[in-house]
Amino acid sequence: MNNRLRITATLHCDLLIIGSGGAGLRCAANVLDKRPETRVIALTKNAHPQKSHTSTAQGGLAAVDPGDPEDKTIYHMFDTWKGSDCTADQDVIKKICDSSWEQILWLENRGMHFSRNPKGKLSKRTFGGHTLNFGETSAYRAVFEADRTGKGMMDTCWGESLKRNISFLNQSIGTELLFKAGRCVGCLVFKLKEGEFIRIFSGATVLATGGSGQVFKITTNCRQNTGDGPAVALQAGLPMMDPEAIQFHPTGMIGPGILASETLRSVGGILRNKDMEPFMAHYAPRMKELAPRDLVARAIASEIRKKRGILSSDHKVEHVWIDLRHLPDAVHEQQIPEVSGFFKKFLNLDPKSELCPVHPSSHYQMGGISTNAFGEAQDHLQRRVPGLFAIGECAAASLHGFNRLGTNSLLELITMGKFVGNKVLAYLDHLSKEPTATVDFISFDRFSQYLEARGKNKIGQIRIDMQELMTENVGVFRTEEGLSKTIDALRELKDRADQTALGCKSLRMNQELLQRWELDNLLTVSMAISQAALNRRESRGAHFRDDFPERDDAFNHHTIVIMGSFNKVEIKKREIDMSIFKAKDQHFEKFDFIERAY
Amino acid sequence: MASHYHITLKIRRYDPENRRSWIQNYHLEAGRILRFVDLFRKINNEQDPTFSWNSSCEHGQCGTCSVKINGKPLLACELLVENAVQYFNTPVFNVEPLEVAPVVRDLVFDLTKAYKRIDQVKPYVISPANPPSDQDEYSISPNEMKQYINATRCINCFCCSSACISSHRNFLGPNAMLASMIRVLDPREKEKAQRLKILYGHRGVYRCHSSRACSFVCPKEIDVAHFVALAKAGRFNDPNNE
Repeated sequence: MNNRLRITATLHCDLLIIGSGGAGLRCAANVLDKRPETRVIALTKNAHPQKSHTSTAQGGLAAVDPGDPEDKTIYHMFDTWKGSDCTADQDVIKKICDSSWEQILWLENRGMHFSRNPKGKLSKRTFGGHTLNFGETSAYRAVFEADRTGKGMMDTCWGESLKRNISFLNQSIGTELLFKAGRCVGCLVFKLKEGEFIRIFSGATVLATGGSGQVFKITTNCRQNTGDGPAVALQAGLPMMDPEAIQFHPTGMIGPGILASETLRSVGGILRNKDMEPFMAHYAPRMKELAPRDLVARAIASEIRKKRGILSSDHKVEHVWIDLRHLPDAVHEQQIPEVSGFFKKFLNLDPKSELCPVHPSSHYQMGGISTNAFGEAQDHLQRRVPGLFAIGECAAASLHGFNRLGTNSLLELITMGKFVGNKVLAYLDHLSKEPTATVDFISFDRFSQYLEARGKNKIGQIRIDMQELMTENVGVFRTEEGLSKTIDALRELKDRADQTALGCKSLRMNQELLQRWELDNLLTVSMAISQAALNRRESRGAHFRDDFPERDDAFNHHTIVIMGSFNKVEIKKREIDMSIFKAKDQHFEKFDFIERAY
Repeated sequence: MASHYHITLKIRRYDPENRRSWIQNYHLEAGRILRFVDLFRKINNEQDPTFSWNSSCEHGQCGTCSVKINGKPLLACELLVENAVQYFNTPVFNVEPLEVAPVVRDLVFDLTKAYKRIDQVKPYVISPANPPSDQDEYSISPNEMKQYINATRCINCFCCSSACISSHRNFLGPNAMLASMIRVLDPREKEKAQRLKILYGHRGVYRCHSSRACSFVCPKEIDVAHFVALAKAGRFNDPNNE
């Protein structure tokens, strides 16, 4: 055991939130709004909450305005169900869609700077997969703040939390959940700047750590999205649901994978192959560029496979074009200034006169820590884990099933953040006394191993090898052979990771030590994704098996993954909630296992 | 223009364990549209895993990777190699952390401390006016929003604070002033008196020396100095007074 590792403080609070993005801080704001005396601590691995991944979301937030004469909540529910390829949970869909407008008003009333129409009311735009009258025409359902909707939301949630006396611990990671008699009583926390472990005992603990996009080589995700929450949950013996459901944004900019928002297609951008053919007409004759993301991502990948892509000499990546040249200057300048500016900034080209190179980029993890419709964490038998909650991209309730519609993720953060806040308050009401007992933990063993390991392997190289492996075999297209190969290769990578000596042995702001911990999390999540993808011998939503290209009713269930250890993965099932269908109300037949065609 | 460049980064490093600071040279071969964050990662992967630097989104939306390159504060994720060589007219770059807060290690400075200045101007609606009804949003005309919407694009990267000749001690800094002005102009904020007190208080806009460095370095191209000048001219005392 490394003798420099010790607990330097023990803190007590009512609510500990691990991850200070949109979901975590919406939850905090709700709790503090209703009960200002609640002691809330919020951790972030980032330098500051405002630097969270939520801040980078561009497009918008879906919600049916009750004042809209044409749109109805049932249409939004249907679109979400259909988009999910019939694998979302209908109780969650109903809860979230029903309370969506109320949450838009919460954001607006507290100062979010939504874009307005000439009358001063909230502007709305269309997004792929959102329709009126069960798929008839596109719906204007997404409110937005120019092309920085996530930033507006993050600023508002952060401001509202700050206003209400929250304690932030920036640049801190939750390394291990603490349990006492089956109840989550807090978390062991490593403060990166100080290089110190502290123990935080909490009445309730919320995991809100965000996604795991860094599993792949090309991702729209932030540098810190390394699947920490799901990995910590898996290490605690808790299940991850639907890890194989990963959305690839069709239009990442080549090179860094930066998101070129769906907005580009909704304002009229056209995808073209090397022969300049607008190829989307072959794949989705009616919706074309506005078809859901996975269809567009596969269409682009298919074009590239059929040798109709273009090779970028700088980044050694094949891509297709998005053509924005025909759009009026006003559209470039007013509707897509930041996205259009990205091409200028990061590729030195002008979208007004030049074609822009794009290819699919890992964007969103639909699966995550398994929870019920209230965000309460569950074990593999779907029993509630007292004291533990999970929300946002790290969690799966599930609203998105196997494919998320654009603008539904921000909606999920804001609504589930609120619901979990309510549940936390109810839970705290019935909590008898503060846990002060000693609790066992293993983080010191792990960190000692990181600090004392010997070997010439390099963390950076192992991470690159893992990302290439996952992108090649567990990306847009998957096969039995590729997945089996990947699982073996991940085991080798894990062995290599364990034989990696750190160059810097210091505990204070040791970026290498953090990256070593993140690498373990990335490998853990990669293993869960690959095993689940191998087990699901069908294609559904964003999960596409080349060897099983059709959806199969035998797989009309969620995947539940538990990991006894890295090499011991068990796969179980969870039933899909069909409560809207079963209620037999008007239009219930739309909520059966319908075909997902656009 | 060349397809590859031979780059030298002279990076200011700092080790908190022995409080030692030094300049370390790294020589790199870099493609023309690699960004400086890509170069930092390349150093970590190929030469020196101990070198620490900060970033998050890496596409100019979060303001975490602010550094000084040859004295100019900017976002490392937005600086392409070919643009840097052209702009600074050299392939050799001095890389230093911003000095708006204590350095933690190498290029990582303490953003939590830097943000204390923003917290002081209360970056939220202190006292929201009543909305038209429970089921409704406020009406704010696009013209009304035009007055302050550009200021809401600020991402608190602190480049302006770093460049500002008067922000290191008593001035809260240009970005804090923007956050303050937004809510002075926002019709949803009822608490104008406290707002004006912060804006015109002893750490407020009158500390500005009008160097306009803030506007010059802002990665989001916000004309920060223009906002500060309007405030200094007393334009925000009564937001209804055009």
